[in-house]
Amino acid sequence: MLEAGLCNYVVLSYGHNAFSSDSMRRMLLERNADDAVFGHFGAVAGYALAARRAMHTFDTGPETWKHIAVGQRKWANLNPAATMYDLLMTFEDYYNARWIVEPFRLFDTCLMTDGGRAMVITSAKRARDLRHPPVLIMGMGQHNPSYDVHQATHLAGPTGAKRAGEMALRMAGITLKDIDACEIYDCFTYTVEITLQDYGFFGPGEGEDWFKNGTIEPGGRMPVNTSGGQLSEGYYMGLTPFSEAAMQLMGRCGNRQLGPVTNTKSPEIILCSDNGGILQTHSCIVLKRS
Amino acid sequence: MNGDSKEFWAGCKAHELRFQKCNACGHVRWPASIICPMCYSKETKWTVAEGKGRVYTFAVYHVAYHPGFENDLPYVVADVELEEGPRLLTNIVGCRPDEVKCDMLVEVTWEDITEEFSLPKFKPRH
Repeated sequence: MLEAGLCNYVVLSYGHNAFSSDSMRRMLLERNADDAVFGHFGAVAGYALAARRAMHTFDTGPETWKHIAVGQRKWANLNPAATMYDLLMTFEDYYNARWIVEPFRLFDTCLMTDGGRAMVITSAKRARDLRHPPVLIMGMGQHNPSYDVHQATHLAGPTGAKRAGEMALRMAGITLKDIDACEIYDCFTYTVEITLQDYGFFGPGEGEDWFKNGTIEPGGRMPVNTSGGQLSEGYYMGLTPFSEAAMQLMGRCGNRQLGPVTNTKSPEIILCSDNGGILQTHSCIVLKRS
Repeated sequence: MNGDSKEFWAGCKAHELRFQKCNACGHVRWPASIICPMCYSKETKWTVAEGKGRVYTFAVYHVAYHPGFENDLPYVVADVELEEGPRLLTNIVGCRPDEVKCDMLVEVTWEDITEEFSLPKFKPRH
């Protein structure tokens, strides 16, 4: 629309009182139709079915996911806007948390948040005069396996992330080696693992090795979900990862700013993801510092 | 239940697992629909599945999202792949939740919940 001249600015926005109202719960619990007679409700269990299939297909499970929950919490502890800013998390805390829907414990699941996010998209030409340094969109990709969880064969990958990621990197003209950080849609810990796996950062079952020793944490070699993400900052749909990537590339992230402040590489290029349904839709976008 | 799945639920009442089979390509499908998702043919007939399958994947609920399930906790929701092909969302009963495994062999068992409705659930098959 911007390139066609139909408009000059596009605002992407999301706001919800998901924590203080019951609207998110109602939305998630009412859409399951015939499944409800078997006691099947909501998104936690849908993703739990996917994660369990993955545990059967390759080497993964809580031993891998604890690195994601704890790693993202460390980022949230640097972010005063994060819901979990004041709360530290150890591996022991992760394992001691109660089961929600097995194989997911409490800290495998994202937050319900009152809040919102907004981003303004415009042409590079118009962005030149704005107050903050603009961030450029290098590439985008989408792939939607669509099948409902009951019939899906992509639960343990490849999910839509594989082709969406390839498409976005091709459009950007880069490879994974050029990526400095990732902001990944993290409704559950497993979503982060399968998305990074499908993007090609590691092979099936190699996640635990890849995540361990603080890979995604402050000071790590591939920072992931640097606001704390949906697991520890707040749930604003795809705008949690997307807005954080833009803020990081603008250099507006304070104590969690990638670069010398957090002993990480100063970011030039950040990869973001979003997905919908139970791994049914996937978007990938590559952003670059101007 | 909707117009497409009415025959499935009528079958359940009679303790039969009824699915649509495509006349053109032979694909047995679920959920019920007016066209075959494989070849788009509208020609279809209802067939009865034997009720044997394996656990494709499963989840163990430790939270009741509806008060009606509080007394059942912890309970198992599973996606069972039938020998005829379709995968069906259901419950695994007749064993402890920690005994359920992916690829475990299971068979149908019927739970009559009202005069009108029976639910196909699955139990371990040896």
